[in-house]
Amino acid sequence: MIKFEDVTKIYPPSTVGLEKVSLHIEKGEFVFLVGASGSGKSTFIRLLIRELEPDRGRVMVGGRDLATLRSWKIPYLRRNIGCVFQDFKLLTNKTAFENVMYALVVTGNATGASKKKAAEILSLVGLGHKAESYPNELSGGEQQRVSIARAFVNHPPLLIADEPTGNLDPDTSMGIMQLLYRINKTGTTVVMATHDREMVDRMRRRVIALEAGKVVRDQKRGGYGED
Amino acid sequence: MGKISFFFKEAFGSLRRNYFMTVAALVTVFLSIVVLGGVLVFVFTTDALLEGVEQKVEITVFLKTNPDPSQDEIDAMQAAIYPGWKDVVKSCTFVTKEEALQRVKDWFKDKPEVLENLTGNPLPASFEISLIDPQGVSMVAERIKSQFAPLIDEVKFGEEYTEALFGFTNKARVFLLVFIVLLGIVAILLISNTIRLSIFARKREVEIMKLVGATNWFIRWPFVIEGVTVGFVGALAAAAVVLVLNHYLSGWVRSAITFLTVPLDAVPFVLITVVLLGVGVVIGALGSAIGLRRFLKV
Repeated sequence: MIKFEDVTKIYPPSTVGLEKVSLHIEKGEFVFLVGASGSGKSTFIRLLIRELEPDRGRVMVGGRDLATLRSWKIPYLRRNIGCVFQDFKLLTNKTAFENVMYALVVTGNATGASKKKAAEILSLVGLGHKAESYPNELSGGEQQRVSIARAFVNHPPLLIADEPTGNLDPDTSMGIMQLLYRINKTGTTVVMATHDREMVDRMRRRVIALEAGKVVRDQKRGGYGED
Repeated sequence: MGKISFFFKEAFGSLRRNYFMTVAALVTVFLSIVVLGGVLVFVFTTDALLEGVEQKVEITVFLKTNPDPSQDEIDAMQAAIYPGWKDVVKSCTFVTKEEALQRVKDWFKDKPEVLENLTGNPLPASFEISLIDPQGVSMVAERIKSQFAPLIDEVKFGEEYTEALFGFTNKARVFLLVFIVLLGIVAILLISNTIRLSIFARKREVEIMKLVGATNWFIRWPFVIEGVTVGFVGALAAAAVVLVLNHYLSGWVRSAITFLTVPLDAVPFVLITVVLLGVGVVIGALGSAIGLRRFLKV
């Protein structure tokens, strides 16, 4: 699903984003990306959605080398990658339902069937009763659920979550994790960058640890720290 | 729900939501275009005045007196000038010796003593020639001189002041043109800057749209529709104001400057309205599209 070959990204003048990172993530995996701030987690994610391009090496997503992707095709790449962020990135002037719909309308899918789909997915994340609420009327956990619903409504093969629980209390975080876990069960590959030690230790999934832009550990059923 | 209706819904929705920005943009468009339109009206009126001044330039051809040319020669000459040169000559009036004398009598009718000693009619007959383009006056005068030399005593067209006059009117026109161009640029910058600001305020929105996989045009369309709407509405209001203003202005000019005629069609209303609306719509659309460009690069 994802393949990094010797990827290096330097932010001018000389800040290392990633350095010689090579790794392979299989289809259907659930992967934690851990490391301190500035260790390269965000760089990793921004490379995946082609917000950035590597200075050296190759980034492959779904068998495609992103360097060969023409810029007008980037939106089509992003439709196949669901993204969830720490700050939710919801459109504040749209209701929960409209936010989810937006991801469908963007793809040219604005039919009655897609409306039903958006309503269904909101129920799935437990927000069926708040479909008409605006983001500022929702709690942090609820907003993150909307954002997950939006990320997943197109059934992307890959879902990326950048500190999705960073702003949430532990109980709410647990709910969000379960949601991601369920999404992973449907076959979607999930890559999640996180600081949440407890969560990682509890889930016992593959852990890729970054430090100063390098992969320092890649463990099949790891914890947040060294075992 | 089709894509197009979605775009319109988005555009009008955000015009309503960001009403403060909408009003700011509308006011900017309105004021810029009122100024631009006002200047256009001023320029057209001034141009008509300049043209009126220029039309006063005439060639007077005095014929020989001793002996006077025959009627045949006069007829031939008149026909040669007009319609013969009708591409450059607007009219060619023959003034007989008697008419000339009558004019002089009229001028001096308060001072009959001036004419007391006049015996017979020493005045020459003449042609009064007005031109389609008065700026070609010296050329035409030369041609008349060389072609009808045997019949002509003198050709007058106010050489000493026409040159200065045309020098002035031509400079005035260049000045007005530069003025319009500069104001046009000011209007464009002002409007597109306001639109850019309103887009900048929605940078996050654009960023999110990109993350969800919206193509650039999908993001752009609602913004362009917004820009066009603001541009059109602002320009429409401005055009109305400009035309009303023109109505009063031209009335005022006509009563103030009675020695020159400002033709009723000096200011082409339709053209000005179309130009102002066009400026509003095009700047609105371009301002949005260009303002978005830097946010679409991610």
